[in-house]
Amino acid sequence: MTIDARRAVLRGFAAACLAATMLSGAVRAETLGPVTDDVGVVKIAKGQPILIGALLVLSGPDLSLGVDASRGAEIAFDDHKNTLVGHPIRYLPEDGQCSVEGGQTGATRLASNRQIVGVLGTACSSESRGGAPILWNAGMPQAVTSATAPALTAPDRPVGLQGIVRFVYNDINGAGAAVKYAQSVRATKVATMHDGSLYAEELVNAFARQFKAAGGTIVAAEAISPSDTDLRPVLTRIGTTKPELLFAPIFVGASAYLVRQAKEVPTLASTPVLGTDAVLAPAFLDAAGDGAVGYRLTGVDNDPKLMGARYGDFLAKYKEKFGEDPIGGFHGNGYDAALAMMTAIEKVAKTDAGGDTYIGRKALRDALMQTADLDGITGKLTCDKNGDCGSSHFAVFEYASGDPSTFKLGANPKKVFP
Amino acid sequence: MVQDWLRRATFVDWFLLALRIAVVAVVGTGFVAGLLHPRYSRAEWFSFLAFGLTIGAIYALIALGYTMVYGILRMVNFAHGDVFMFGAYAACFSLLACNRAGILGPDPALSFLIATVVCIAVSAGVAVLAERIAYRPFRRGRSLAPLISTLGLSFVLEYSARGMFGAQNKAFPSMPAVDGIVAFAGFSVPRVQVVVVAAAVLTMVVLTLIVMRTRIGTAMRAVAEDRDAATLMGINVDRVIVFTFALGGALAGIAGLLYGLVFKQISFFMGFFLGVKGFGAAVLGGIGNIPGAMLGGYALGLVESLGPAAFLEGLGVSSPYQLRDAIAYTMLVMVLIFRPRGLLGERLSTARA
Repeated sequence: MTIDARRAVLRGFAAACLAATMLSGAVRAETLGPVTDDVGVVKIAKGQPILIGALLVLSGPDLSLGVDASRGAEIAFDDHKNTLVGHPIRYLPEDGQCSVEGGQTGATRLASNRQIVGVLGTACSSESRGGAPILWNAGMPQAVTSATAPALTAPDRPVGLQGIVRFVYNDINGAGAAVKYAQSVRATKVATMHDGSLYAEELVNAFARQFKAAGGTIVAAEAISPSDTDLRPVLTRIGTTKPELLFAPIFVGASAYLVRQAKEVPTLASTPVLGTDAVLAPAFLDAAGDGAVGYRLTGVDNDPKLMGARYGDFLAKYKEKFGEDPIGGFHGNGYDAALAMMTAIEKVAKTDAGGDTYIGRKALRDALMQTADLDGITGKLTCDKNGDCGSSHFAVFEYASGDPSTFKLGANPKKVFP
Repeated sequence: MVQDWLRRATFVDWFLLALRIAVVAVVGTGFVAGLLHPRYSRAEWFSFLAFGLTIGAIYALIALGYTMVYGILRMVNFAHGDVFMFGAYAACFSLLACNRAGILGPDPALSFLIATVVCIAVSAGVAVLAERIAYRPFRRGRSLAPLISTLGLSFVLEYSARGMFGAQNKAFPSMPAVDGIVAFAGFSVPRVQVVVVAAAVLTMVVLTLIVMRTRIGTAMRAVAEDRDAATLMGINVDRVIVFTFALGGALAGIAGLLYGLVFKQISFFMGFFLGVKGFGAAVLGGIGNIPGAMLGGYALGLVESLGPAAFLEGLGVSSPYQLRDAIAYTMLVMVLIFRPRGLLGERLSTARA
C-alpha cells in the first residue's frame, strides 16, 4: 500500500468515526412489535423470563445496606408469585461495593445484558454517581433503595441521572431529622465531619444549612477519607472548638474508628456523637465492639406499631426466608422499590398475539416517576416531579450493647427520640 | 563555587532549584502563619506528637521488613503488607482466646506475651511461605517475575483472609490493662500509646542487636554487601534469605499486634494501605538501610499527624486532615527531590557506584 492510499484509508476511517459519533448522539426512536419508544424497547419472547437487575453493595463493611434491601426485594417478588405479565421474574443482583468505582463496574455488567428491563438500587449514593449514567445510557431506569444524596434527584440533575427514581427519603429530610434531634438536646454549637463520599458530604451540607437557619452554629466542618484509620488528630482539632454535638454521617469502618478514638481525645471524650443509618447494621457492632455502646444515629423509624400490620407479616416472611431478623434499616425500601418496578412494568408492558411482551424503556421510567398511592411497606408512596417517592418517619436510635448477635431494630439499637 | 554551578547548571537544575525554593516558601509561609494564629494549646501539640510517634512506630516496623528484603535481594516484597494483616488477625484471635480463658483481664502481661508469640509465629510463617512460593522459584531469572509474583501473592493472601475471617471489619479485643491515661511530663497520654511506642522501640533494639551482633546478622550484612562474595566465603545464602523474610515477617506481626491495640479494628484489606505507607517510609529513609527505615517510619507518622496542623492550617486550608495522605506523599516526593537516595541514603549505593 502506498503512502497516499494509506492516508486515504485513514481519512475514510476518520470520517466514518465522526459520522458514527454524530449519529449516536441523535435521538432515534425504536419500534418493536406494538411499542415505539424514544430510548429503546425490550422484547421478551413467550416463556422467557423478565430480567430485573439490582446494583447494591453486597460485600465489604457496608454490605448490610444492600443485602437487606435485596432481601426485601426478593420478598416482594415472592409476594408477586415470581411472575409478571405472564413471564417468570429473574432477579440479577450485582455488587456495587458502596463506591463510585464499584458502581461503575456493576453498572457496566448490568448494562451489557440488554434484556434487563430495570434496576433496583443503588444502596449507596456513590454507586449511583458512578453507575447511574451507565445504566441510563443503556436505557435502564433505577428504583433506588437507600441512596439518599439530594443531588441524585435534584431538579437540575444531568442527563445521566435522569433514570433515577427514589424509593427512600431524600437527605434534605434526613438532615432535618438530625437538626430536630440537635435542637431537642439543646445543642447550639455542632461540629460536622464527612468522608468525602457523595452521601456524607451532601448530608453534612444540608444539615449545616438547616441548622444555621434554625439559629445554630457550626463550629467545625471537618473531612476525612474513608480509608483513614487514625482520626485522633482531626478529633483533637474538632475538640478545640468545644462542640456540644458531633454530627458524623460516615460509614461503618470509619464510624467504628470514630467511636473508639473519640473517647481517647480528652476534649471530646464527653461530647455525644450522632451518626446515621449508614451504620444501622450488625457489621458496625462487629467493628466497633463495646465502643458502640451509647452511640446514637438517625434512621427510619421501623417501629411495627407505626408501620401497620402489613410490616408484621413482612417481618415474619423475612425471618422464615432468611433465618434471621432484618440486618439493616432498608428492607422495606427494597420491597417498595421492587413493588414499584413491577407495578410500572405491568402498566407499560404490551403483549402481542403471539405471547411476546414488549416494554418501552422511557415509558417504564416515566411510569416509575408517576408512581402514585402505591401501598408500600414504608407507607403510601407518591412520587414528586423530581422522582422522590420515599415516605419515612425518622427516629434517633442508641446502641445498648456491642455484641453483634444482639442486633435487633428497636432493642439494640433502641429508639430514644422522639 | 557559585560561578562554577552557574556555568554548569542546565534547565533541569534551575527547575529543581525553583521547585525547592517554592516548597520551602509554601511550607515556611504555612508554618509562620500557623504560629501567628495559634489555635492549639501545648497539650494538643503534645497529643499530635504522641499520635505521630505511635503510628510512626507501626510504619517503621513494617518498613523494616521491606528494607531488609530489599537490602538483600534488591526486590520489593509487595506481599509484606498482607503478612502484617495476618499478624493482626493472629493477635486478635489469640487475645480473644485469652479472653475466653479468663486471663486477659487478670494477667495482661501473659496475654500480651501469648499474643506476641502467636503473631510472630504466624507472620514469620506466612513470610517464609511467601519466599518459598513467590520468590524462590524465580530467583535465577533476572526479570521482574518475583516482583509481579509477590503482587499476585498479596491478592491471594488478602482474599484468603477474606474467605477465612469474613469481609467485615473486626473489632480487636480491648485490653483493660492498656486502657486509660497516664500523666507524662505534665501532659496526659493514652496508656496504649506509651505501651506501643515502648514495645516498638524495644523490638527495634532487639533487631539491631540481631543484625549487628549475631552470626546470622553478620551473614545478612555480608549477603547485602555482595552476594557472590558471601557465597564464596561459605555463607549459606538461601538460609540467610529465609531468615531475612522470617525476621521481617516477625516485625510485621508485632506491628499487627500493636496496630490492633491502638486502632482496635482490623480488616482483610488493611495490609494494602499500611503496606504502601510502610514502603513509603522505607523509601523515605533510604531503602535497604535499616536505621533509615526506622527514621522514615517516624518521619512519615509525625508529618501525617503534625503536618496538617502545622502547615495547612496556616495556609487557610479548610478540613486539612482530609489532605493528610497528600501531605505525607508530597513530603516523600520532596525528600526524594532534595535527597534522591532517601534521608539516610541507600546502603547499597556505595557498593553499586
